[in-house]
Amino acid sequence: MQTFFGLVSVLIVFVWLGGKQVFPLQPICDLRVLDHFVREARDSVVIMRGSRGGCGAMKSYFVPLTSVDFAFWEHIDVQELAVEVQTGLSLLVQALSTAMKAVSNSRLANALDNNISNIHSLSQILHSLDLQHARSTVLPDDSAPASTQTQEVSSLPELLQVQSSFLRGKVRLLLSAAPACQRQNS
Amino acid sequence: MTKMSDRLKIVFMLCVAFVTTGGQHFESKVAQLLQDETEDIKCFVELKDLTCFWEEEEERNDLQYTFTYSYENKNKMACVVSSLSLLASNKTVFFCKLPKTPFFTTLDVQVFRDGRMLYSRSLNAENYLFLDPPRNLTVLSSGKEGQLNVSWLPPLLKYMDDSMIYEVRYAVEGSNMGKVEVIKVSTMLVLLGLQSDTRYKVWVRVKPDGVAYKGYWSAWTEPVLGVTQPSDLDPLIMVLVLFIGLILCLLSMTVILSHHKFLLKKLWPDIPTPEHKFPGLFTVYKGDFKEWMSQNNSSMWGRSVQVYTEELPSPLEVLSEVSLTSHGTSQREERKPVEEDEEKESERSDSGLTDRWREPPQAHWLMEQLRALQENPQSLSQSLLVQSHDTYVTLNQNSQGDGEREVDDVFEETLPLQTLFTTTGTTSLSTSHSDLGSLQQSSGSGRLSSQSSFEYPNQTWPPKGPGYTYMAVADSGVSMDYSPMSSSRITELGRHRMYTNDYKNEIFLHKWPLFGEHNKSGSESCMGPVW
Repeated sequence: MQTFFGLVSVLIVFVWLGGKQVFPLQPICDLRVLDHFVREARDSVVIMRGSRGGCGAMKSYFVPLTSVDFAFWEHIDVQELAVEVQTGLSLLVQALSTAMKAVSNSRLANALDNNISNIHSLSQILHSLDLQHARSTVLPDDSAPASTQTQEVSSLPELLQVQSSFLRGKVRLLLSAAPACQRQNS
Repeated sequence: MTKMSDRLKIVFMLCVAFVTTGGQHFESKVAQLLQDETEDIKCFVELKDLTCFWEEEEERNDLQYTFTYSYENKNKMACVVSSLSLLASNKTVFFCKLPKTPFFTTLDVQVFRDGRMLYSRSLNAENYLFLDPPRNLTVLSSGKEGQLNVSWLPPLLKYMDDSMIYEVRYAVEGSNMGKVEVIKVSTMLVLLGLQSDTRYKVWVRVKPDGVAYKGYWSAWTEPVLGVTQPSDLDPLIMVLVLFIGLILCLLSMTVILSHHKFLLKKLWPDIPTPEHKFPGLFTVYKGDFKEWMSQNNSSMWGRSVQVYTEELPSPLEVLSEVSLTSHGTSQREERKPVEEDEEKESERSDSGLTDRWREPPQAHWLMEQLRALQENPQSLSQSLLVQSHDTYVTLNQNSQGDGEREVDDVFEETLPLQTLFTTTGTTSLSTSHSDLGSLQQSSGSGRLSSQSSFEYPNQTWPPKGPGYTYMAVADSGVSMDYSPMSSSRITELGRHRMYTNDYKNEIFLHKWPLFGEHNKSGSESCMGPVW
């Protein structure tokens, strides 16, 4: 009986700790990781140009907006940016998965699959930055309407271009401006 | 009032200065791209603003142009066109600066003139960064020889410090040959391998690294001079070191020269040669020992002890003694050709045993002698004539009793046996040497037939046994090696004096039945002692 109660108490303690997130992830602030993903996204573009029928079927994909202007950079709202980045990454994953199924070239399909896994890794990196508010508000129909957050492209080359621009622009800016990384650098 | 006007003037001057500086940079960039860029409408980003310009040869008014741009499926937006006259090349360009340049998206720009589209281009602004040169370039001499510390500040751009790549160029002042070092992200560099005590010029330029941002190389900074440290070696010290080195060299040379013989002997020892013991052997006779022996035979006897010291003494056993009519000629006989012997045989046969044992006796003569011995053993004197049909050995008499014998024990012991032998029916031994080496001549017959024959009186021995046995052996232990068919080894020296001759003695078997028990076919062993 006593052992039973002891075990139960230990279990309760663990559950409470898990909820409290006593062991946070170490923030991953090294931009070279992102640069690696950017290079692999560029490789997909090269493979696509070199393969026959690389364009695939003409489909419409909903992809995030990628534009960033430096005026915006001067007054960055990290939380808002985090929401944008998370939404955009999920949209990209959906679009890339759809395109991968339509592509016949195995090499290109492998490259697209690699891009998808890279985006998943990016999500983990952003999670390590402890952007609490971003997690809670990652909903497509929250805050801004989806149309203002997305754009439509009609071919795989455009999709890959959007992916490259998004990674180099908004995602990179968020990693540079994240408070956890700022604390590390300073 | 005056204060306000002064302030306004200062502000105006600053603005002008800022504009001119910016304009200088701007103008230089435009001028550079005019040469390098091939597109009709050339664009670059300076200070986060995209500028697109085009060249026009004819005299035009800037109002005639319309510049529009759009991105992300948005509506087209217009941009104000301005003109710029390049002083250096005396050209006029029209340009437009986008007020809020969107990055990481595809921009579509178009230029219209009088309603007609002149140029069109789609580009991503982040790929055409044209940065300003690095700031605050400083060159300092490091503490070490041949090194310079170079450091600078990156151009003013937010969030781009880690995306930059720098190029450092350095050259000796006044020289056109420069070297270039590429460095990523870091804003300082240590130049290595430079000449000491030399003035160097250093330049730096910057470019985006090409991963997130791309662009053109910036202009070179103004050159900055740096001086490397002088070399540590003081000339005075160098002179002293050389002087001391010279003195040490002289001392060592003196020592070497004074003891050069000793050193030479140590380093290059002389190979010992036996030449001093064999005068003329190598110089006159060129190593031909036989020739040398033949020439020096007579003179060698006096020193034969010295000559044959290395050779194994051949033990002899005196088997019997034969009395001779005359003595005093117990020297070694020189071997002579068979032809000569045959001539003298007749003399021999008449005189019987003589002590001049020059000619090899014939078989019948020897037979007679042996029979005489058999009959009269007492007739044996100290001297023993041992003669075989073909081969015999002339032995020196021992010193026992006979004074005229010039035998001495030393001689007996040390001198090798002299073999005088001829082969029956085969080539005769032409050599006259009673040398050990002469045995090789017997190989013509293939075997030393009747090489060894010795008197072995089975009955009597002279009471005054000399203490040795005579033995006719074809060869000594050493010389037998020359003969291919026979070999003999001196198995034991000293008291027993045993000889083992492994050769066939066929003639013995045939003609010397007396010695049948002693002469065995195939091998023969000479046993002693007699007494």
